[in-house]
Amino acid sequence: MNGDIHRVAIAGGGITAWSAAAAVKRKLPMLEVVVISSPPPPDALADRIVNTLPSIAEFHADLGLSEEDTIVRAQSGMRLGSRFTGWSGGLRDYVHAYGSYGASVGGIPFHQLWLREGQLQEYDCYSLGAALGRAERFPTTCTADAQIGYGLRLTLDRYHELMRAYALHLEATERPGDVVDVAVRDDGFVAAIILSDGARVEADLFVDCTGPAARIRSRLGGSWESWTKWLLCDRVNVTDEAPRQDQPLLDEVSAHSNGWSASCATVFSSSHASGDDDSAVRLEQGRRGQPWINNCVAIGDAAISVEPLEWTNLHLVHSQLDRLVSMMPGADYAPIELAEYNRQCNAEADRVRDFISMHYITAPPTGPFWKDAAVIDPPPSLEHTLSLFAERGRLPYYEEETFTRDSWLAVLFGQGFLPRRIDPLAYSLPAGEVASILRTCRDSVARFSASQPSYREFISDMGQRERP
Amino acid sequence: MGRDKLNVVVVGGGTAGWMTAATLCKLLPTRCAVTLVESEAIGIVGVGEATLPHIRGFNERLGINEAEFMAATRATFKLGIEFRDWARKGDSYIHPFGAFGRGQGEVDFHHYWSRLREAGAPVSPIGEYSMAVTMAYANRFALPDPDPATIESTFNYAYQFDATLFAPFLRSVAEGLGAERIEGRIVDVELDGETGNVLAIKLESGDRIEGDLFVDCSGFVSLIIGKALGEPFEDWSQWLPCDRAVAMPCRTETALTPYTSATAMDSGWRWRIPLQHRTGNGYVYSSEFISDEDARAAIVAAVEGESIADPRVLKFKAGRRARSWVRNCVAVGLASGFLEPLESTSIYLIQAAIGALVELFPERAISPVDRDEFNRLIDLEYDRIRDFLILHYHATERSDTPFWDYVRTMQVPDTLQEKIDLFRRRGRIVKYREGVFLDASWIAVYTGQRIVPEGHDRRADLPSIDALVRGAEALRQEIHTKAEHMPDHRAHIERYCPMAEAA
Repeated sequence: MNGDIHRVAIAGGGITAWSAAAAVKRKLPMLEVVVISSPPPPDALADRIVNTLPSIAEFHADLGLSEEDTIVRAQSGMRLGSRFTGWSGGLRDYVHAYGSYGASVGGIPFHQLWLREGQLQEYDCYSLGAALGRAERFPTTCTADAQIGYGLRLTLDRYHELMRAYALHLEATERPGDVVDVAVRDDGFVAAIILSDGARVEADLFVDCTGPAARIRSRLGGSWESWTKWLLCDRVNVTDEAPRQDQPLLDEVSAHSNGWSASCATVFSSSHASGDDDSAVRLEQGRRGQPWINNCVAIGDAAISVEPLEWTNLHLVHSQLDRLVSMMPGADYAPIELAEYNRQCNAEADRVRDFISMHYITAPPTGPFWKDAAVIDPPPSLEHTLSLFAERGRLPYYEEETFTRDSWLAVLFGQGFLPRRIDPLAYSLPAGEVASILRTCRDSVARFSASQPSYREFISDMGQRERP
Repeated sequence: MGRDKLNVVVVGGGTAGWMTAATLCKLLPTRCAVTLVESEAIGIVGVGEATLPHIRGFNERLGINEAEFMAATRATFKLGIEFRDWARKGDSYIHPFGAFGRGQGEVDFHHYWSRLREAGAPVSPIGEYSMAVTMAYANRFALPDPDPATIESTFNYAYQFDATLFAPFLRSVAEGLGAERIEGRIVDVELDGETGNVLAIKLESGDRIEGDLFVDCSGFVSLIIGKALGEPFEDWSQWLPCDRAVAMPCRTETALTPYTSATAMDSGWRWRIPLQHRTGNGYVYSSEFISDEDARAAIVAAVEGESIADPRVLKFKAGRRARSWVRNCVAVGLASGFLEPLESTSIYLIQAAIGALVELFPERAISPVDRDEFNRLIDLEYDRIRDFLILHYHATERSDTPFWDYVRTMQVPDTLQEKIDLFRRRGRIVKYREGVFLDASWIAVYTGQRIVPEGHDRRADLPSIDALVRGAEALRQEIHTKAEHMPDHRAHIERYCPMAEAA
């Protein structure tokens, strides 16, 4: 072992960079952290997309940030999932809510019972999150573990300020500046970064949070895995206007003739558009082969460019930071340690890609864009998932999976993608019992949902808490 | 969709056969009718007298009462496996079914332990900080505490039982659930000339038994998948050179240990499995390095207690069939592959195959999707166990016999070498959420076999050394105090699940 890392320079000035600074200082306070801050570029989606997944709560708890800080003071809204309209042909719009759908019975997965009954009711009737979301109610009472999950809808400037203040409180330092050049040593390590004012910043480890341009990491080379053959959209328009807390608990995600839109983003394929939209930024979906090379690690959009469908951008940042902190190598950056970090990041990114790609591949082919999407040859891991599911409704397990089986099922069933046959296990119960299990589940979902306060009430109660 | 029942023919009535028959009858009563063909003239190998904690889930799913099962199979409790003389002669450690430390918190206990070692601070062997290890060495047993906050919740357990009694026990369960048993010796397997599927098996009596799906539980002979269908065997003996075992049971005269022992020998290793009525012993060895005769002499010399039967030699080869499900035949147990019983995985592998078969139970026209997924899952199980077993041999400093010199210097699979290097570097375990052996198992074997991390998780640097020393010592004392207040293993068994007096 050749000693430890002492000084860390984090480049980028958005939520990604400040979250990185807070995570590193909170978990490894012996490290010296300087943030080279500049406004995030327009294509840095993790810094600009307001919708987040439930994992953000774990990130906050892990850092010691309370809900008072992250929700009340940061004026975040809540979200229980997404409501997809126009993605399933003639079927009703469907909800991908976080948390469980039904519960397994005696080792029989719940969805097999639903299939056995013949899908008499929509699958999202069995989700507390979906029922609450449709009714605009927010739970105040606890439910069993993992039955309901909620993400936050961030008020970006507030949240950015919270993370920055927290990182500075933890004694990270800030040095405003733009990275314009990188001094790379002969052995491929970064010696220093050069800022626009000519200053030279040295560090042991460089954390690149500068967005897709990856101003530092891109200078060290390495491969790029393009996903454009699977994800056809190459433009994104990010909007950030309405107050977060007035928006519905379920984001409406509407399919368009050449992409989709939600209140905070519009994503489309420029080659399927009549004319290009000048306000949209380019998006080249894919990931780096090695997010971490030598003494430079790319975090967020610098490592992975993925459209915001299903709101994974900031989630991926949190997950990478969690790894960065728990896998901090020695100052010699042993290749075996970096390889394990990269293996996990890549496996995670690829499954996110699969989950997003699945939305397009299983949607009905209406119009040229959707026809092109429907005939895409899926990546092998998605091909495996879809073929197994199409046969018998089974989902294989993959390591580093972001979305639960419940999430996969919510989307697949929501889009009307049904397996050819039902699992034999589902026949170990008599039909009458299956019907009664499903009815009981639906009733309890409806009853629980009706017993909860409206989201508006919840928000106003929360507002009360803000005033001392 | 074909709602009619599939005729499932289970070939062979050992542990694998009856576990399969009982499970299919219990879980898929409306989807299959199970016929099991066995011959009393053919003995069962009776592998896997020692098990892994997963067996409890199997029993639960079948609705088997634990105390009844333990009494019937003369079972004892098992908290782990003791390894003696593996890295060096005189070494000993236990691979526990349980955590080191409290098993919670964001930094694993072994990182703090490594830091104390690196700093030269006073610290005990890592087993001293494990509830399961401490109970095992003290010959104590009590069921785990359901409250996860307590240190008595940090272990799991399995059983050591008489495998020759487990099959008959399951037979009564399976027959009670509707399995039909046919006595007879199989003389031929009839294949469909066009599809290559198995149509029927023919018995010595002239009877012909047709089926839709055949489950090959015929053991090493691998009657259908190996002999009739010719599925190739992937030989792993370059890494796992042991190919024989000589077994010799004896009376239990010493303490009834709640753990299995695996003691390294000159050309392999020796098991010791204490049951209520006897102790199983056996020497697993490589015929390249020692003769049967010398191995027999070595086991006779090594066992404690009066021997009950003459030493019996078994032959095998490490490896697995390239595929475990071929056409309409699924191999379960030894017919599908063999890994030596070093980590008690035989019954686990049977269970994994049965679990996968239930989850991927086919229609009459078998979909390749089901078959491929089954094979993928089973291969994954075999491959991961293989690596874990090879680690035991390879992580040694012994060069005192040609056998140990060979395994010490052999080239191991890349998948294992990476795992070893990563642990040696900074105590990192390659993490898999699925797989039989999780972090604590790997940590136990690495540290027990002297692969000591050079570094630790940086987050373990936060507490002061003094605070860590005090914390570790308080934990050690708490564990020892709790263990001392638990009942003696034999006393617990005599109260909970005593076997019927042997006739």
